[in-house]
Amino acid sequence: MVEERYVLAIDIGGTFTDLVLLERRSGRQAVAKVPTTYPDPSDAVLNGIDSVLDSNNVEAVQRVIHGTTLVTNTLIERKGARTGLVTTAGFRDALEIGREGRYDIYDLGLELPEPLVERRLRFGAPERMNVRGDVMKPLDEASIHDACRLFLDECVEAVAICFLHAYANPEHERQAARIVRDSMPEAAVSVSHQVSPELREYDRTSTTVANAYVQPLARRYLAGLSEGLASKGIVAPLHIMLSNGGVCSAETAAAFPVRLVESGPSGGALSAAYWARRSDRQDVLAFDMGGTTAKAVLSSDGGFPVTNESEVARVYRFKRGSGLPLLVPVLDMIEIGAGGGSIAHINRMGLPAVGPESAGSVPGPACYANGGEAATVTDADLLLGLLDPEYFLGGEMALDVDRARRAVQRLSVRLGMDVNRMAWGIHRMVNENMANAARVHAAERGTDIRGYAMVATGGAGPVHACGVAERLGIATVIVPPAAGVSSAFGLMLAPISFDFARSYVSRLVALDYVRLNGLFEEMENEGEGVLREAGVAPAEMRIERTADMRYVGQGHEIRIPIPPGRLDSDRLDEIRAGFETEYTRKYTRTCEGVEIESVHWRVRMSAPEPDPGDVETGPVAADDANKAVRGVLFNAEQAPEETPVFDRYRLAAGFCAAGPAIVEEAESTAVVPRGWVISVEDCGNLILTRREGSR
Amino acid sequence: MKSAEELDAVLLEVLWNRLISIVNEQAAALMHASFTTVVREAGDLSAGIFNRGGHMVAQAVTGTPGHINTMATCVRHFARAHPIDSLKPGDSLLTNDPWLGSGHLHDVTVVTPVFHREKAVGWFANTCHAMDIGGRTLGADAREVFEEGLHIPIMFLFRGGSVNRDLMEIVRANVRTPDAVVGDLYAQQAGNDVGAAKLSEMMTEYEMEDIESLASLILDRSEAATRDAIAEIPNGTYRDEVVIDGFDHPLKIEVSIGVRDRELVVDYDGTSQQVDRGINVVYNYTHAYTTYPLACSISPSVPNNAGSFRPVTVTAPEGSVLNARFPCAVGARHLIGHFLSQAVFGALSGAIPERVLADGSAGLWNTQLEGHDRDGRVFSYVFFSAGGMGARHAADGLSATAFPSGIKGVPAEAIEAVSPVLMLKRELRPDSGGAGKYRGGLGQEMVLSMDTDTAVLHSCMYDRTKSPARGFRGGGNGAVGAVILSDGSRPHPKGKYELKPGQTVTLRLPGGGGFFSPMARDPKRVLNDVRQGRVSPEAAREVYGVVVDSLTREVDAAATEAVRDASAGPEDTTGSAP
Repeated sequence: MVEERYVLAIDIGGTFTDLVLLERRSGRQAVAKVPTTYPDPSDAVLNGIDSVLDSNNVEAVQRVIHGTTLVTNTLIERKGARTGLVTTAGFRDALEIGREGRYDIYDLGLELPEPLVERRLRFGAPERMNVRGDVMKPLDEASIHDACRLFLDECVEAVAICFLHAYANPEHERQAARIVRDSMPEAAVSVSHQVSPELREYDRTSTTVANAYVQPLARRYLAGLSEGLASKGIVAPLHIMLSNGGVCSAETAAAFPVRLVESGPSGGALSAAYWARRSDRQDVLAFDMGGTTAKAVLSSDGGFPVTNESEVARVYRFKRGSGLPLLVPVLDMIEIGAGGGSIAHINRMGLPAVGPESAGSVPGPACYANGGEAATVTDADLLLGLLDPEYFLGGEMALDVDRARRAVQRLSVRLGMDVNRMAWGIHRMVNENMANAARVHAAERGTDIRGYAMVATGGAGPVHACGVAERLGIATVIVPPAAGVSSAFGLMLAPISFDFARSYVSRLVALDYVRLNGLFEEMENEGEGVLREAGVAPAEMRIERTADMRYVGQGHEIRIPIPPGRLDSDRLDEIRAGFETEYTRKYTRTCEGVEIESVHWRVRMSAPEPDPGDVETGPVAADDANKAVRGVLFNAEQAPEETPVFDRYRLAAGFCAAGPAIVEEAESTAVVPRGWVISVEDCGNLILTRREGSR
Repeated sequence: MKSAEELDAVLLEVLWNRLISIVNEQAAALMHASFTTVVREAGDLSAGIFNRGGHMVAQAVTGTPGHINTMATCVRHFARAHPIDSLKPGDSLLTNDPWLGSGHLHDVTVVTPVFHREKAVGWFANTCHAMDIGGRTLGADAREVFEEGLHIPIMFLFRGGSVNRDLMEIVRANVRTPDAVVGDLYAQQAGNDVGAAKLSEMMTEYEMEDIESLASLILDRSEAATRDAIAEIPNGTYRDEVVIDGFDHPLKIEVSIGVRDRELVVDYDGTSQQVDRGINVVYNYTHAYTTYPLACSISPSVPNNAGSFRPVTVTAPEGSVLNARFPCAVGARHLIGHFLSQAVFGALSGAIPERVLADGSAGLWNTQLEGHDRDGRVFSYVFFSAGGMGARHAADGLSATAFPSGIKGVPAEAIEAVSPVLMLKRELRPDSGGAGKYRGGLGQEMVLSMDTDTAVLHSCMYDRTKSPARGFRGGGNGAVGAVILSDGSRPHPKGKYELKPGQTVTLRLPGGGGFFSPMARDPKRVLNDVRQGRVSPEAAREVYGVVVDSLTREVDAAATEAVRDASAGPEDTTGSAP
């Protein structure tokens, strides 16, 4: 790749658009945070560019990387295109029948997510493949013409096509797509074997439909952004962040916009891994806690687990199963209903509980004095002395301690509890909720996280990090610098990469190697095309093969590495050994005598990870960092402890201190309980370490 | 840790949540390692932690009511047969006795004592649906339980860490899919082991000697919360009577629910006698499917444990179909058990109509197919499908969604990938949802055939082919189900027959009942149902009194008013249905 002088990263969130401009040689960065604009978010981008980039060096921008919540918001707000669906005759309701189950077995009032395509725009076409991809019934082309006529009458702007077993033989889908493209040249067409060629018709249809639904908007938006950048004189290639932690060209993103759903959190995770690496840590729990939710991602050996099971636009935000399923590669992360705005209440059992309901940012916690009455985590943190009412968001917003106290008191009185103890309880319970979720997440992946380092970001992350870490047996917490733009920063770390998959269910002993090699060849050829389009030279392309396998009869697959090159029966032992190793790691023992079968075969094609070098974090004033002492309540049993408060911007590398302590910066506050030690590293990381034997 | 009296509300909530988190980890480990598709894809399992006496303290949030609430009873039997202090680390027990467990031989419960610092502190247990258990295969047509498969009394699965080899050989010799069945027993043990390790970690972290005091606080709190919820219902005795298809003859479920201040007494006196086919229900299962709908209506936010069941007493006459005596056949007991929710809701609708569902299709439709694939290998495949749920007091019923069962369906492609079944159609059934101001959920229609050279044995476990889901308060009934072969013949909905190559079988699953008179439904909603093909224009006119203009496809307001006026009656008519 050509040497890049400047890299520009743009991350559009719901509230703010963040820009980071990095000069590669010096490691210097310029940062801007501007309010996101509606309806056209590219306005904010173009304004923000002016503040990080002067007109002299636009030509030196050699790469632009972009992450956006546009796709997610379009799905959540149901503002996508009018979409039609063509399925195999007899299966037009797969989208609605779904899994036939309820995601909450006690809630009689539950609602299922409304399908993105209404029933009368779902059209069944006579055709059928079997599971091996053999044609059982040819496609009735006339029926596709009929469907197009219906769609044209109904002003349909996007069409999704999903036939049974198209992942095994896409011929009928191709045929149908040709007809639709001819008859409806204006429409965006999404075809299941391209969007998500994986077995399970409900999930595949849901994914293909979501792709079609957001495509016209994503296409217009990306084209507009490219034009806008060009109007500023920036002609560098535009790369788009995907949910899998990689980036691709704007053209590929416009074809598969559904792959952008989790692009923001992916940037945050990459950023966390980068800062952990700067402190020589490879095993990381990236923990981001904001106003409404906390997100956690596990990164082992510097890599990120990718899963193909995700959901978007949940009816009940934190209930698994209440959203639209998407079969696209996403970083395997959890979202927990725990944030600064999470509301404390008394539950049916007469016990205090926190979340998942949140006061959000409007009206927000009681201490915002913005109409919020409910006691939230931020109110509790304020009462405990963890937050400075005069220095919230760097002093931009004064917090009202009295309102916080009154809110917490309303609960503590009902429980016959002291108000401070109640505040401590709220803080403690939200920590427990997050620790429990992280523990189950790790257990489901067969990972022991006790030796991991936690990287804490988000406004509330460093406030709660040590408390959560203690519950998880984690002894190191890293608070990276400039956490406020970590997602945007992470975009610069993402390699160009794209994932491909094919389903081919077969017992290992009965594998048809001609077919299997054909599948890999197909995926790798497609990958080469996608990477070439993003400007990657063939010599730089990396191919990573995996497969999802299980013991015959099991319903859950595990992902294992597959060797490169032509496969034949000589490689079988190697594949089997890979499966057994991974199976043992997860479930302690293998099942002797049971055959193994493949379900999905996957290829990830990528360029090398960009190396941003050692990014500078800005000079520090070397004067006294200890700006105050205040009473902080670390434990419900004890009186408040006089605790030193440090100014992060004045902590030089090499600084050390023992907890209890508070370290404040504009975006957040790091809380360091007794038993923890602070040190500041050269790279700018604040490291909190738990001393041996302390609890 | 502080003693129970000192445990404050915060710490109690923290520890309680931690226990729930632990049983979720237990369930996750079990699901991932399981060999049975219905366990993983359909969630047909349950997992929980019990105190020393075998009382359930917490259970995983996954699971299906038939297992959850029966497991609560089951572990006490183990604790009685093998007092916890007689057991050693590395010991583990199991049974599939229908009368001790969840009512049929296919459900195996594995119960493991858990030790902390060499002291037995409680039990972990889980119940899973085995892929096969021998006998006649899962079905409704056996005459005695002996025909239904291998019966394992309470015995050791592991002793001092070593597997009970004799038992394993007996299991292997008796089932059609020995690897999967034995593999699942290991998976069940792995789940309990994970739970035990996590509990021990928690006890170390909080310096706990035992969980008895924590357990009693949890159970007492849950009991009190349930009693408070019951107190909100007006005192009285509420009754209902439900007729279901039965095997050859209709059966009657009669229920009375007595609300006495802070407790509930449910009695099934008057219910039909047990029958000589495999649809009989053991008492445990009756109890489970009675407390489940009660919890949904009355106390959905109280976690399930032994305490939350205390205020509820359930009785059914011995020898009735709801408290059947050994050795009657019980294989397809869900075909009666799933209908108890209808009787409970029907009775409660007299007191709290806003918190019940109208009747739904209720009984899960279980399709079991067994034969040889084209390579001559034996296959046995079962999948579950759902009809429509009943309408709510202020919302339509959900289409093709299981209730009261908590399990899920399996995608057609996943079915075809592992069996020679061909699913040729799976679509919602128009006009199958009972009419009402709030419409019942639609059933679905499936068409199956076999990609085999030889005939396949199709075991049907289907209900509501005669007695429809009732609408409530003037709502219409849901459509009944049907099983129809391509030659037009109709096999017995609870029997077995041979499905020949080239033949197809159509399964029409029932719809749910409506709530309130259809004449009160907003014409715009009727119009939308017509446009979306959920209700036919004929039904819109005849049942809902809404005339849709065939040209403009809009509501003809004048004609609608005329039709509705002509049929005007009281809105909340109460017929034979609740």
